[in-house]
Amino acid sequence: MAEQKVLVLGAGAAGVQAALSEAAAGNKVYVAEHFPSFGGERIPQDKIITDGNAFAAPDLATFKKNDHIEFLRNADIQSLVGDNGQYKAKVHCRTPRVDPEKCDECGKCITVCPIHMYDDYNEGLEWRTAIDFFDSGSGYYNIFKEDMPVCQRTCPINLDIRTYVGYIADGKYAESLATIRKKLPFPLSIGRVCPHPCEGECNRGYMDEPISICFLKRFVADVEMNSGVEPKIQLPEETYPEKIAIIGGGPSGLTCAYHLALLGYQNITVYEALPEPGGMFRVGIPEYRLPKHILAKDIEFITKHGVEIKCGVRIGQDIGFDEIKEKNDAVLLAIGAHKGMSMRVKNEDAEGVFEGVKFLRDAGLGNPVPNKGTCIVVGGGNVAMDVTRTALRVGFDDVNLLYRRTRKELPASPWEVDAAEHEGVKFHFLVAPQEVVVKDGKASGMKCQRMELGEPDASGRRKPIPVEGSEFVMDADTVFGAIGQVTDNSLVDEKYGFTFGRKFNFEVNPETFETNVEGVFASGDAATGANIAIRACAGGKKAAESIHKYLRGKK
Amino acid sequence: MCTGRVDPALVADAFVNGADGVLVIGCYFGDCHYITGNFMAKHKLDMAREMLAYAGLNPTRLQFRNLSSAEGARFAQHNTEFVEQIKEIGPLGTGDKVGLPALKEKLEIAYKALAGPKLRWVVGKKPVFIDAAQGNKYGEVFTEHEINRTLSGMVIDEMATHSILTALEKKPAAVKDLAKELEIPAPETLKYVLALKRRGFVEMDGVEGTSPVYKFKSAEGGRC
Repeated sequence: MAEQKVLVLGAGAAGVQAALSEAAAGNKVYVAEHFPSFGGERIPQDKIITDGNAFAAPDLATFKKNDHIEFLRNADIQSLVGDNGQYKAKVHCRTPRVDPEKCDECGKCITVCPIHMYDDYNEGLEWRTAIDFFDSGSGYYNIFKEDMPVCQRTCPINLDIRTYVGYIADGKYAESLATIRKKLPFPLSIGRVCPHPCEGECNRGYMDEPISICFLKRFVADVEMNSGVEPKIQLPEETYPEKIAIIGGGPSGLTCAYHLALLGYQNITVYEALPEPGGMFRVGIPEYRLPKHILAKDIEFITKHGVEIKCGVRIGQDIGFDEIKEKNDAVLLAIGAHKGMSMRVKNEDAEGVFEGVKFLRDAGLGNPVPNKGTCIVVGGGNVAMDVTRTALRVGFDDVNLLYRRTRKELPASPWEVDAAEHEGVKFHFLVAPQEVVVKDGKASGMKCQRMELGEPDASGRRKPIPVEGSEFVMDADTVFGAIGQVTDNSLVDEKYGFTFGRKFNFEVNPETFETNVEGVFASGDAATGANIAIRACAGGKKAAESIHKYLRGKK
Repeated sequence: MCTGRVDPALVADAFVNGADGVLVIGCYFGDCHYITGNFMAKHKLDMAREMLAYAGLNPTRLQFRNLSSAEGARFAQHNTEFVEQIKEIGPLGTGDKVGLPALKEKLEIAYKALAGPKLRWVVGKKPVFIDAAQGNKYGEVFTEHEINRTLSGMVIDEMATHSILTALEKKPAAVKDLAKELEIPAPETLKYVLALKRRGFVEMDGVEGTSPVYKFKSAEGGRC
């Protein structure tokens, strides 16, 4: 029988035993262990080394010397696919930072190592040095370096937060901004609008309050903008001629274009349906949160990299999707989620009932919007907050927000809720819309029902239950529905056979952002469903990397 | 001679021997004949100042200034200024965080730490690590802030380690007595002592009551 290859995961006592018996059977054995040394973490360090006594079986010395055993230390299994007989494992080995060929185990490094840390091999009871051998039986020296910081891990685009905040502490603003722009081309905009999930995880929060990561980004970007210094544009010398079309000039599409330009692609065209680029940054986020001239600065930075943005071109109307797909080597669908979800109440199509996102879009583009009398906003997310606060600004006298749970369950960011309340928005909690009241063919109010909270549902929030006989009518001239957005995917023909998700979003491979149609990628809200801007940017960056791999792999 | 050659231990030695102030004058930044000598001097002296200040010295007593060798008048001006500042503080032991006999002991410990290899190695690597074009062997660049934080942690560690070693050199002691004498919390003292034991600078001498007593062990190959 031919030699078989065996992979053993974990090099504790059982792992070592298994590896030895497999090796004795004449197989080639790979042993992958998360820690830098074998023997398992429960075995006391100085027990293994003494000959013969505490630890006789399995035989660690034989394990180390055996030619049939290859020990992969600092290794994590990333994926395991296949079936009996033909498994394929993807193993990620972190560097030990010590060359085992050159190390002669003199132990001098330990006496002089300046960094101390809790000994994870001893349940954190003692300190050990950053360089350590764990157990001298194996003699594997290893320098421990922390993995990604928790803030960086939380950030969808994995911005190097520790470095850029550290550069700000050093007063090196240009370096700090350059660090941010390695991944994110929108420091001015994201610094203003991001709901900063990173700050929720920040370790400083356990001490007093988290580092103000988001506003530090805004600060460092503002410094450059206000100083009038032109940002440096650095493009690679090696260029590629492939044509790439990006449909949608929002956060995701423009980030993708930016990263493709940084990779050396010269023929990138962004098609934007609206008269101005920026996507939800421009038409979803109101002026008071992100001024348009600030956004324009960020977009100018991207276009300087040689990205062409064609505005006012709606795919499916002005140019067919077929034509785009034919003429370009790769296509990215980053069309966002610009269609409001239906409230599923009676008379929803009456005059005076609008989608919240459409109202924000018209307000953002300067189109005429309804602005008289009282209005009702249904929903409790950040879009609903934007709609209420914009409604107050365009001239509504009275803005009422209906939400069917309580304030505690509001999905909007708490600072947005506080700001809306401060500005005079009237909140009505535990109220669900039932029917739009129509008078002379025009909406004149909303029939509502009071709710009470019941048992938690699948999402972990307490489910609202209607209270019988508590219906009432709230008068209003205009009704806005802001209960979520879906993707308008009508631009692609059925013949391509795209598969769609629950929010009419394009279903993609979560790793590569490729759709089920070859050469067509999708990212941003169009792939993930409505989500935060930084996640859309992260998707765009990943899509750029996949498009690069796809185009280079084709050659 | 280049200010880059001024050893942090030399500065500490001056204070141990009773100097009231040390002024180091180097070339202007960018004018160094050895390109980075005065930058190195600044990094080293910044670290030495932090260490000595942690030991209880008034940090004004150690200063670094820049001058060209052609500026006689400025040299006199710097000296007069510095002497006036030191006169205002007074002789060693007044105007410092700690009074005299204790200060001298602490300065001796600081001297030992500064003479050891650890701090000087990290300080020596600092300019390379924070240079965006270089970084460490893996190309990882650190911010100055990060390195300084590491150095500050090391200053505290080194001070504690060397005061424990100095105390144990005099006589063997148990951890709780050490903690009381050195005013370091007992759990931390235990961790320092165990780390020293692991590295071979301390060994167990016996057991007194229920607590083990440790004694100093001169490790082969010199200091830590």
